[in-house]
Amino acid sequence: MAPEVLPKPQMRGLLARRLRFHMVTGFVLSLGVAALYKVGVADKRKKAYADFYRNYDAMKDFEEMRKAGIFQSVK
Amino acid sequence: MAHPVQLSLQDATSPVMEELITFHDHAFMAMSLISFLVLYALLSTLTTKLTNTSITDAQEMETIWTILPAIILILIALPSLRILYLTDEVNDPSFTIKSIGHQWYWTYEYTDYGGLIFNSYMLPPLFLNPGDLRLLEVDNRVVLPIEAPVRMMITSQDVLHSWTIPTLGLKTDAVPGRLNQTVFTATRPGVYYGQCSEICGANHSFMPIVAELIPLKIFEMGPVLTL
Repeated sequence: MAPEVLPKPQMRGLLARRLRFHMVTGFVLSLGVAALYKVGVADKRKKAYADFYRNYDAMKDFEEMRKAGIFQSVK
Repeated sequence: MAHPVQLSLQDATSPVMEELITFHDHAFMAMSLISFLVLYALLSTLTTKLTNTSITDAQEMETIWTILPAIILILIALPSLRILYLTDEVNDPSFTIKSIGHQWYWTYEYTDYGGLIFNSYMLPPLFLNPGDLRLLEVDNRVVLPIEAPVRMMITSQDVLHSWTIPTLGLKTDAVPGRLNQTVFTATRPGVYYGQCSEICGANHSFMPIVAELIPLKIFEMGPVLTL
């Protein structure tokens, strides 16, 4: 009976294959981290400032602060 | 002022500070991209038994890891230069105030429409009222208008000091024998704090700056004498 012949395993280029895979994955993931930061922090902060100033009334804010007594120059 | 254990920048009270915060977010994003990439590369190197001890002539890799950092640096430098020139813009200030650093207090001179000059000393802890901020309150605050460009001329009578208000994005050295100029436009009224930012002796930590920003039409009505 002829012995069963297993397929020859991959014996070369293992590190190169691993490096290729992980370099691509690393780049993609780090771009993802940067995109997450941009969307979740940077753009959110810009929107928060835009929303704050859209209907901001400086005089009304000032009057509230004045009534709270925080100013020395105006009572 | 900052809240306890605050690590981030204070909320902006001027358009320039908003731009500075946006730039900080941009640079932080680039930094987290690089840090994550390096951390990932480190972990993937540490978690394999595969090695190659005879790597030579990796020309393509060397090209990539020279060009890519150069591109990243350019992408950081361009907004940086933009904001550098933005902070130097002087757009016809309505008002000029002089701030003179001494050991260890500030003198403010309002000489545009009269001769108001006063000193601003830190309030010692024993003189504080309930709710006051320790080591940040002063006896006479510098009162400034909002929504109008204000020019601050900063100098020193003795040693180096630095006039700082983080929320306005201001930090200007007070150099003896030199007049430094900084211009800002505030967008919100309120009371904003800063501290001397150049080592100037024993009480360097005890000469704070407090700016009271009030609407322009209230400011124009003239000072309420609290001196």
